[in-house]
Amino acid sequence: MSVKAATPARSGAKSKQPLREWKRFRFPQSLYRWGGVLLGLVFLSYSVVYLNIPLERFFNMFGRVGTLVTERYYPPEIDYITEPDYLASVVDTIQMSYLGALFGMIMAVPLGWFGAYNMSPSKRFVYPLARFVAMSARSVHETIWAILFVTILGFGMMAGVLALTMFCVGFAGKLFAEEIEAIEMGPVEAIRATGANEFMVMVYGVFPQVRVAFTGIGIYTWDVAFRAATVVGFFGAGGMGWYLKRNILQIETYRVSAILVSIVVLVLIAEGVSAWARARVAKAK
Amino acid sequence: MSILSVKDLKVRYSASGPEILKGVSFDVEEDDFFAIIGPSGAGKSTLIRCINRLVEPKSGSILLYGTEVLSLNSRQLRRLRRGIGMIFQEFNLVDRMSVMDNVLSGRLGYVGNITGLFRLFSKADITRALSVLDRVGLSDHVDKRADQLSGGQRQRVGIARALMQDPKLLLLDEPTSSLDPKISREVMALIMEIAAEYKVPVLCNIHDVQLAMEFCNKIIGLQDGIKMFDGPTSEMNTKKLDEIYAMEVL
Amino acid sequence: MASAQATAEQVERIIAARSKAKLVRSLIYAVVLLLVAWSVNTTIIEDTDWARMGSVANVLESVAEFIGIDWGLFPHLLEPALETIMVATLGTLLGVVLCVPAIWFGALNITPFMPITYPFARLMMTLSRSIHEIVWALFFVAAVGLGALAGVLAIAVRSIGFIAKMTAEAIEDLDPKPVEAIRAVGGSEFQVFVYAILPQVLPVMVGVIIFEWEINIRRSSVLGLVGAGGLGLVFFRQLNTFNHPGVTTVIIAILILILFGELVSYFVRKAVI
Ligand SMILES: Nc1ncnc2c1ncn2[C@@H]1O[C@H](COP(=O)(O)OP(=O)(O)OP(=O)(O)O)[C@@H](O)[C@H]1O
Ligand SMILES: [Mg+2]
Repeated sequence: MSVKAATPARSGAKSKQPLREWKRFRFPQSLYRWGGVLLGLVFLSYSVVYLNIPLERFFNMFGRVGTLVTERYYPPEIDYITEPDYLASVVDTIQMSYLGALFGMIMAVPLGWFGAYNMSPSKRFVYPLARFVAMSARSVHETIWAILFVTILGFGMMAGVLALTMFCVGFAGKLFAEEIEAIEMGPVEAIRATGANEFMVMVYGVFPQVRVAFTGIGIYTWDVAFRAATVVGFFGAGGMGWYLKRNILQIETYRVSAILVSIVVLVLIAEGVSAWARARVAKAK
Repeated sequence: MSILSVKDLKVRYSASGPEILKGVSFDVEEDDFFAIIGPSGAGKSTLIRCINRLVEPKSGSILLYGTEVLSLNSRQLRRLRRGIGMIFQEFNLVDRMSVMDNVLSGRLGYVGNITGLFRLFSKADITRALSVLDRVGLSDHVDKRADQLSGGQRQRVGIARALMQDPKLLLLDEPTSSLDPKISREVMALIMEIAAEYKVPVLCNIHDVQLAMEFCNKIIGLQDGIKMFDGPTSEMNTKKLDEIYAMEVL
Repeated sequence: MASAQATAEQVERIIAARSKAKLVRSLIYAVVLLLVAWSVNTTIIEDTDWARMGSVANVLESVAEFIGIDWGLFPHLLEPALETIMVATLGTLLGVVLCVPAIWFGALNITPFMPITYPFARLMMTLSRSIHEIVWALFFVAAVGLGALAGVLAIAVRSIGFIAKMTAEAIEDLDPKPVEAIRAVGGSEFQVFVYAILPQVLPVMVGVIIFEWEINIRRSSVLGLVGAGGLGLVFFRQLNTFNHPGVTTVIIAILILILFGELVSYFVRKAVI
């Protein structure tokens, strides 16, 4: 027993012997496992204390949320969201979302190329740089991009479009790079062997292989960008978000809930359109 | 005068890895159809891919039509590559492109970026593609997508693509290994005819010794990165074959 | 020569077909381009206050203000960074708890009463995913007041959709044989769940949870903007005091935090799966 316990790593090889004693986890895995769990629990309870989370408020929150919704947010003022001003902002939001997705993807294609290990022009410099750019663009939240662009360029939809562009660059750039890394290298080599330059190798050897996937990713990117577009206006970057902010500040709760309803409906429609389009594209393969 | 002259070629894939080619030398003459035979892992593909530098050799010399291949910069290398047709075991066609576009992609070394990007190939290129497709017997499949063809047909597209390059040398990396015996023979016969027609020397990796003896006029036997035999097909015999394939027999 | 004749004709035909395909494609491009031009006009050209923005030099000047790092700020970023991680972690775990009914009701093969429970679960998932985390945070700030709790709740609710959707799909795809085996030895529905379903679904679920946790760090880093604590609040303060290098510093801190999250998730993934 003691020998076995001391060499748990080889227990797989010895498992043919009948075990005299069976335990789910043996030392020292058991120690790591329970230690990890314990550490996690300590971190969690410490977090609750550290963040000053009022547990009693958490537990009677459900009732409060219930009354809040039924008394203050219901019924939504549907008339408000059918006003032409608001509908115009919906159109703005849609425009912002596809412009952001489009510009983002135009930039994401070279970024995906440079950030794909197999095709990158330089594995030492360009590859890590492209990966870093994509990661940074993605890591910074779209609302932060929106605030930055509003600060620099002033209020308006340009800031929103640019914020969504940055977000989409990172989002699509990473997915594009992964897609390029998964291609077959045979055709790439064949095109290279004809004496084509690297750009032509991309166009003829790589692009036909990833075209369908890129289209799907593009549609998905737009879908995600649309969700983000509904709120960038909250920080002054145009679209429906601005109406949301104004009504929250004026405590027009029925209008707020109407706007939320409109957001949910629009996102659902966008999701439906995106799923349908992606299915179409996948079939056209 | 030899067209291709390889001297003391040595290759490693990584600095610490084993030496895959341990100093191989040979010469290819104008009307040669050269076969490279040898057991799996001997370095046949590596050798072939060094000629157009898909693999970078560590040292040695490759003289092709009097040019030192190993000292070319990337632009010169592309110039060189466009004059070398290559045919692959797995065909390496771009599946989602039409047969026509696959064949036209053989011209990519000659056309500019804009022409390539928008597929604005000249009438001369298209005419040439059609006659080449006609030559390999695919004139009925011009508009099909490459992935709709059978293996033998796909290899014919590969041959057509190589011919589009107006090649001065053909490199073949086991062109028949993915095909059944009957089709293999047809494809080899086609390549031999075409090579004679276009007057291109051929360097061909091949697993099937019988095919090699049948179609090639010279043979290189490679074993574990070392050249064991180099001479006309007529000088090849069972004993020497056994020697080359010793590793496999044991 | 007859065959040459045929070839010439064929060339003409192929060139015609290729240029027709090109024409159709150019038409599509033209329509898309017009649409884009129209949108660019309305969203960018007409909606921008060009006078306020000034010349390109002005814009570059304001960008240049952000260049630099406020080293003095770093010590003040540790606590908010920790808060951000904590909010993300607690939010993710609470999300997992809240997920359970959505998973149970939302997997077609185990949903208790299809006509009611299934649509209910789908509704939960959709609401969770389609409302942006900022909006959820605003809602919970209204419900429970300013502070980390609102952030935790927003993150939790926002996480339900993805975790539940992926897990429910995993349950729908699971191998029915172990389920039958446990039923065959006389196990109760609960035992079937624990011994046959859970072991198959757990790896998927753990993967999804780690993935979501990473995303939640990114989300919780901004919830401070609407009063839910963490780095977002510091970001806001730097911006309002016009300490632009400080803004850059906070963004760098967020990047580091997310990198840290990626590292942790890499190791946890390796340890667990
Ligand atoms: N890209 C690579 N990186 C590292 N090692 C490689 C690479 N390609 C080939 N090798 C190694 O080089 C040796 C020779 O490979 P090569 O493909 O040239 O053999 P071959 O003679 O063509 O064999 P086969 O008949 O199976 O095609 C093998 O040991 C192989 O493992
Ligand atoms: Mg080989």
